[in-house]
Amino acid sequence: MIASARAEALRLAKWPVTWLLAGVWLVLNLSFAYLFTYLSFRSAVSDGDDRLAASLLSQVSMEQLPSTLVQGMPMFGGAIVLIFAALATGSGYGWSTWKTVFTNGPARLTAFSGTLTAIAGFVAALVLSTLALDIAASAGIHLLESEPVEWPAVTDLAQGTGAGLLILGMYAAFGAALGVLTRSPALSVGLGLVWALVIENLLRGVAELLGPVEAVTDVLPGTAAGSLAGALGAAGETAGGAPSAGGTPGVLAILDGGPATALLLCYAAAFMVLTAVLVRRRDV
Amino acid sequence: MAKHLKEQSQPYDGGPQRGVRGPDADGQRSQPDRVQQPGPAAVAARDLTVRRSGNTVLDGLDFTVGTGAITGLLGPSGSGKTTLMRAMVGVQRISGGTIEVLGRPAGSPSLRSRVGYVAQTSSVYPDITVEDNVRYFAALFPVPRSAAAEAIDAVGLSPYAKRRAADLSGGQFSRVSLACALVSQPDLLILDEPTVGLDPVLRVELWDRFARMAEAGTTLIISSHVMEEASHCQSLLLLREGRLLSALSPADLQRRGGSEDLERAFLALIRDAETREAA
Repeated sequence: MIASARAEALRLAKWPVTWLLAGVWLVLNLSFAYLFTYLSFRSAVSDGDDRLAASLLSQVSMEQLPSTLVQGMPMFGGAIVLIFAALATGSGYGWSTWKTVFTNGPARLTAFSGTLTAIAGFVAALVLSTLALDIAASAGIHLLESEPVEWPAVTDLAQGTGAGLLILGMYAAFGAALGVLTRSPALSVGLGLVWALVIENLLRGVAELLGPVEAVTDVLPGTAAGSLAGALGAAGETAGGAPSAGGTPGVLAILDGGPATALLLCYAAAFMVLTAVLVRRRDV
Repeated sequence: MAKHLKEQSQPYDGGPQRGVRGPDADGQRSQPDRVQQPGPAAVAARDLTVRRSGNTVLDGLDFTVGTGAITGLLGPSGSGKTTLMRAMVGVQRISGGTIEVLGRPAGSPSLRSRVGYVAQTSSVYPDITVEDNVRYFAALFPVPRSAAAEAIDAVGLSPYAKRRAADLSGGQFSRVSLACALVSQPDLLILDEPTVGLDPVLRVELWDRFARMAEAGTTLIISSHVMEEASHCQSLLLLREGRLLSALSPADLQRRGGSEDLERAFLALIRDAETREAA
């Protein structure tokens, strides 16, 4: 498996898509979490609105780092990682490289475990890069404004990082499963995005009218991801899915942190098992 | 190529067995003078049958393929060449009979690094370089670091190693796929129509490379529906409608078909077989 993981890591590292998607996420995260908030802060300072300015500055403080880190992940970060994983596995079928790997290379599950390990490595690198960028942005803003930099508790920071890994890890497993299921990079990306960005939100809207549907929407992958981010303090949407004032799309307050974590772990495991069964059983 | 670096494969203690053994055009076993030396075969099929969706794709094939030679798998489109190759690689579910490769049942885990397979469609990531594609496959096997460069060199793509695969011509692109299969330094290389779409110069160049690999001890099984390519092979398996029409050398084909032209000779064999069937 180490050889397969090394081969996939080499491939993904050389793949322009990897850097493009990572770059898009980091720019989005930096822009929405820090840049626009800071510009609003400067505007409030210019207008003499000290209360608003203080509120905006606190949003980009280091203390808020655990929640700021994950606030964009349930929707945008998850979608980007889903695209990445779906392309990583789907392209293996699309370009027939899996055919050669599965016939000439190591055993199928060994080869695919290597792929999942390489994807997990990408997710970990992305979360840590986001954390480093967020620390740099927050510290930079506070130094620029001559404000003290107050670090969050290590446990809070670890919790935020773990939550980020779990949210993006679940979406990566989802994307990988779609890539294998459809054997097509384009179709898997399309289906994944429609599910993550459209269908789940529509179902939550329906759930407001139909009680039984709510029982289902409360345990959807996006609900679990959004709830975990919400449990860490990220400002989000109402239970019905409508955005609250200043809330981040995708962040929810439907489940507590514990059930949300358990649900994310279950989904990630289920997607990986499904993928393993498909890879093992299907023809190449 | 890299095969040069390897010692002669361990299981072949009976020495190389060149050529093929199978039925003649009249359905009889081939004569001993065409079978040559005894010893373990690279591929041995016994009553190999494959059915798909109620149709018989391969119908009771019996043949052996010797080691260290180029065996051409020839026949019209739809004759079962790809299915037979997939059976050799172990990714085709068989309905009856047996097929052994390098002394083990086809598809055995121990054969994975010893059997290279290049399908008709190129298995290459177009948006990374030639070198990265080959290094990707090299990383899957316990081969020396130099294996990727050697495989690229073996298919004549060293000047293009740093180019994105997508920027190569069609012929070069398919050779990247070949390099990816060569990098594991297989004992048996199975190539499904590797020369389709290549210009005549490239085709000749590629066949010359195959010949050098066979001289170095690699066994090659190469499918084609172009009969003139049979002249590059030491032995031939002629398929038609899922049946093994004949297993013989190109010279035997010319003699039995009564024509120097291999295509005419093949057609003569087909007509002869049809006449016998009708009778």
